[in-house]
Amino acid sequence: MMRRHGAVVGMVVLLAVLPLFAPAFWVTLANYIGLYSMTALGLVLLTGVAGQTSFGQAAFVGIGAYVTAYLTTRHALSPWLTLAIGLACTGVVALFLGFITLRMRGHYLPLATIAWGISLYYVFGNLEALGGHTGLSGIAPLTLAGVALKDERRYYYLIWFVTLAALWATHNLLDSRSGRAVRALKGGLDMIEAFGVDAARLKIVVFVYAALLACVSGWLYAHLQRFVNPTPFGINQGIEYLFMAVVGGAGSVWGAVVGASLITLLKEWLQDLLPALLGRQGNFELVVFGILMVLILQFARDGVWQWIARVLPHPAPHPVVAAPPLAPRARTAPAGPLLEVQQVTKRFGGLVAVDDLSFVVTPGEIVGLIGPNGAGKSTTFALISGALPLTAGRVLLGGESIGSKPPHEIARRGLGRTFQHVKLIGTMSVLDNVAIGAYLRGRSGVVRAALKLDRAEEAQVRAEAARAVARVGLSAQLHTAAGSLALGQQRIVEIARALASDPTLLLLDEPAAGLRFLEKQALATLLRSLKAEGMTILLVEHDMDFVMGLTDRLVVMDFGLKLAEGSPVEIQRNAAVREAYLGGVA
Amino acid sequence: MTLAKSSAAAAAALTLTLLVAARPVAADVTIGVSISTTGPAASLGIPQKNTVELLPTSIAGERIKWIVLDDATDTTKGVTNAKKLVTEDKVDAIVGSSVTPASLAMREVAVDSGTPMISLAAGAAIVDPADPKTRWVFKTPQNDALMADAVAVHMKGAGVKTLGYIGFADAYGEGWLTEIRRSAQLAGIRIVAEEKYNRPDPSVTGQVLKLMAARPDAILIGASGTPGATPQKELAARGYKGRIYQTHGVGNPDFLRVVGKDGNGTVLPVGPMLVYEQLPDGPVKKAAQDYVAQYEKKFGVRATFGGHLWDASLLLAQAIPEALRKAKPGTPPFRAALRDALEHATVTGAHGVFVMTPADHNGLDNRGRVMVRIDDGKWVLIK
Amino acid sequence: MDLTIAALLTQDGITNGAIYALLALALVLVFTVTRVILVPSGEFVSWGTLTLAGLQLGKASGIVGLVVGMAVLAAVMETWRCIRARELVRLPRALALWCGVPLAVATLLAFAAPMRLPLPFQVLLTLAAVTALGPLLYRVAYQPLAEASVLVLLIVSVALHFAMVGLGLWFFGAEGSRTPAFSAASFRVGSVTVSVQSLLVVGTSVALIGALALFFGRTLHGKALRATAVNRAGARLCGISPEFAGALTFALAALLCAFCGVLIGPITTVYYDSGFLISLKGFVGAIIGGLTSYPIAAAGSLLVGLIESFSSFWASAFKEVIVFTLIIPVLLWRSLRTQHHEEEEE
Repeated sequence: MMRRHGAVVGMVVLLAVLPLFAPAFWVTLANYIGLYSMTALGLVLLTGVAGQTSFGQAAFVGIGAYVTAYLTTRHALSPWLTLAIGLACTGVVALFLGFITLRMRGHYLPLATIAWGISLYYVFGNLEALGGHTGLSGIAPLTLAGVALKDERRYYYLIWFVTLAALWATHNLLDSRSGRAVRALKGGLDMIEAFGVDAARLKIVVFVYAALLACVSGWLYAHLQRFVNPTPFGINQGIEYLFMAVVGGAGSVWGAVVGASLITLLKEWLQDLLPALLGRQGNFELVVFGILMVLILQFARDGVWQWIARVLPHPAPHPVVAAPPLAPRARTAPAGPLLEVQQVTKRFGGLVAVDDLSFVVTPGEIVGLIGPNGAGKSTTFALISGALPLTAGRVLLGGESIGSKPPHEIARRGLGRTFQHVKLIGTMSVLDNVAIGAYLRGRSGVVRAALKLDRAEEAQVRAEAARAVARVGLSAQLHTAAGSLALGQQRIVEIARALASDPTLLLLDEPAAGLRFLEKQALATLLRSLKAEGMTILLVEHDMDFVMGLTDRLVVMDFGLKLAEGSPVEIQRNAAVREAYLGGVA
Repeated sequence: MTLAKSSAAAAAALTLTLLVAARPVAADVTIGVSISTTGPAASLGIPQKNTVELLPTSIAGERIKWIVLDDATDTTKGVTNAKKLVTEDKVDAIVGSSVTPASLAMREVAVDSGTPMISLAAGAAIVDPADPKTRWVFKTPQNDALMADAVAVHMKGAGVKTLGYIGFADAYGEGWLTEIRRSAQLAGIRIVAEEKYNRPDPSVTGQVLKLMAARPDAILIGASGTPGATPQKELAARGYKGRIYQTHGVGNPDFLRVVGKDGNGTVLPVGPMLVYEQLPDGPVKKAAQDYVAQYEKKFGVRATFGGHLWDASLLLAQAIPEALRKAKPGTPPFRAALRDALEHATVTGAHGVFVMTPADHNGLDNRGRVMVRIDDGKWVLIK
Repeated sequence: MDLTIAALLTQDGITNGAIYALLALALVLVFTVTRVILVPSGEFVSWGTLTLAGLQLGKASGIVGLVVGMAVLAAVMETWRCIRARELVRLPRALALWCGVPLAVATLLAFAAPMRLPLPFQVLLTLAAVTALGPLLYRVAYQPLAEASVLVLLIVSVALHFAMVGLGLWFFGAEGSRTPAFSAASFRVGSVTVSVQSLLVVGTSVALIGALALFFGRTLHGKALRATAVNRAGARLCGISPEFAGALTFALAALLCAFCGVLIGPITTVYYDSGFLISLKGFVGAIIGGLTSYPIAAAGSLLVGLIESFSSFWASAFKEVIVFTLIIPVLLWRSLRTQHHEEEEE
């Protein structure tokens, strides 16, 4: 702990004393680096972590800059008030753009942000009140507690205070309940939605967060330059911010600082170096810069930060500390069956995948859904979990209709599930993966997380996740990256994750597939012990031996229809089932 | 990864890279030039950069060091360059930028650091009005207003009653629109259509149809360089029969090459250097010849934008010896003396006669512009 | 606005839309096969025009040097790869392909330039030179990163775009050029003048799109590319190397872009940095098609061209604002119509 604190303090001290000894131009560059870092930081979160590409960050910087430029010069408002107004405007625009694009999958955010970036540039350029293409001059320097921050060395402290605060907040955010969900966005939305995350809403929140950071950067920029015109906020600059984030390392908050520093300083350096090297004729800066960037990415596709991180000692994982258990999820014990599937039908065009299927699962039993390939088991599973909308029929969980509801709504009602194709985030630790399961059991939002007010709850979540991992017997791998586990272990982690959500009904999609004999036995033991604790389980499975020894009841499907239902022994004797499974051989 | 590890690395990276950026400081008289040699205004900046090659390396026995930086037609870069020149290179004066927005932004640096600055951009707002913000700032290109007045006078003489305007959607096009509105009103000419286009637009058909629908007697195109030919060729293709005016921004041979025969009859105001051969003998002709001959010898063809930098150097050449008598280069008193000297300089340059006064930091008058007509791919002075 | 003006604007919009459509096709093609968003496509366009304009003046421009330089680089990379993979047998063929062909093109260009050949030959030379750059760019810049994420490939594209704009300024200067019209003729349909040049643009675009459709539907290489687009690993199993598919795609895309450049040269002035805005509009068309659908991408591009033309008439100052904000209602409509799930990508 001492060394870690030492490093943080060291860096802050270094940043604090830099203006005292550094030449003025260093301070100038450091100021721009701070401003660019802030915007790039938003992109690290939005693009690098959440996987959503935005070309329009420069336009958000522009809003921050223009709002304060216009209101302070023409209406003599306080810059601190204009900051709030700028943030509000940015928030509204970002919410709108996010709402119309992020609810859809596909390349719509890039398109909308290109449109937005270009449009705003021309709006700035064509409004005479905003100075048109020529720009607005005469913006007053900021005054803080009676001190005018006209001197760059003073302004430096404001910029870097804000930048470090943004870094700190973003770092906290990534290491939180919401942050885990954001980090899991790239692993496909099905998984996080199955644990109650409203992925569209989360993406919008991240987009707004990134836009607000850009807006603050713009506000600071306007009072540093004391002049604004449209060119620094056009689409080219928007692309340049993306560039900084990726070249620096879009997977880490430090990538933003590294990227902003690298690109700013490299351009300065090339400007000094190249004329000496290649003569005064021609302009090779852009050419050399482009080629260098391609080379860097060819040798460090995850950005330059990975080179720096490699030489640093690997940090020890956060230990899990004892914490009071999370409150169990509120649940009402239904009088009747827990899950009712009533005359459910699903058609894909002309193909009927599930045809008028009905069955129930009562509390405390293990039910198996079996059938040959293409029988409609997986479709049924998807209909129950909300991954697909129903064509007809009803699905009730605890007496409440959940059919055709989005997965995150169904998860709220107590459904926990695993995936046939394992959906773990390979780069995250087993603990963090399992903690995603406990998403619905926490309350802390983005703001609390960013301000580190969520630590008590976070400790509880981590302790809960660790308990779930212990329960499935993988404590030794708690801090291992999930991607490095064997497939069998990964399936077990999936179950732990589902358990961490404290479900009333556990849906297991082919949990035994790919497991070795001993692993299957361990899995069966685990499921029996869960049943003994009162857990209700519905599983889809291929492996008959596994199912026969474990379940209380079986539902057999064939060609989308229910073929038979009954105890394993009854099913084994059922002639129709044998016919379906063994074909003409029997 | 932890915050700690990351902080240490980031700090190390920052220090290292900043160390790389450190540069030595020079003595003598140092002039920093920050111009747009890349980006949208590259056609302005490149001849300016070429012109630096022709400048004297010593004035009044003192060595002059010219430092040239590119601002990529970007405001932020322009300001960064200005700060670098002021703080790292300790320049005694800044020359630039080639465009109005960057010049306006750099002005703040010049005023804060007390460094005289000579802008190479057209916008009158750079030096107007004379107040503390413009105290340190001068400019050599003709103000848009001076040129616009000449255009309006010519139009009036030619019996033009209604005018259509099409110009760049940038500071250049905007500056001309503002000025021609004022000049046209003074000359009793009504502006019936105002259109904008982007420099690299593949088509201006819509704008041109709109202009023609308003049936103006004349059309003024507010653009610089070869993009000025785009609306003109479209007007020709659509059969526009009225007069076409261009601005001094197109005063280079590339424009003539691209516009071809569609340019015939076009009238525009330019700085005298473009057609110095046709001028009556006098100091302006001699000054222009002096520059153009040198430039053409080295770079083949003349471009008026280079002349603005040349004129800036002439102003400095007159002011530096005066300032040297009062203080040593590289010091604030020297810069202040240089500013004072510039404010009272009288110089005949390639673009006319500069008479600087505290109220006028451009100093050009009617001798700073002539009207020319394009005739078979040549500029012909209208006498 | 009367009917004549509307007809002229439509003609103008369709002409530009046809150019954007070609670019959109090139972008979709490259994206589906290699997952690269080809930002430098715009530079291929402007280099097409400017190289032709240079040939008109009897100059071969810097593009010769660039082709030679990249061919040498590609040869070095291929040699290194063959040595590492111990496949020296393949080296002669690889060198012939990666170094021989481009060098032949460059030599031809350098020798033919001062001869001032007739226009059709100059066009062919231009197309050959720009097309040669496509696969070379893929080999040198993208192939080492073939497995990287879409984002990293995008950023590489942006870096190449920067480098190529810089080179363009160096090769061709800051001022623009035009090329002579293939035909200055025009004829009247009712009260509307139709220029043969715009017909030529639209006709060539349609022909190229048709040729592409044939190529993908009927030929082995075309089918191979489609297979690669669907599944890289699967295509490899079927004996189609992704490297080959990538190089072929880039050649096709560069050819399409060079065609765009040759087609717009007589209509408008092209500058070293013209390409970006043009390709951006093609990109918008391509995204409207979800970066996967050729017909929707082409239709989207046509729409962009038409909106641009009409808005430049109605409110030229806000032209770009109109073109790009009209996308928003389309998105809004799609968003409100969308149920909570669409098919997952990637």
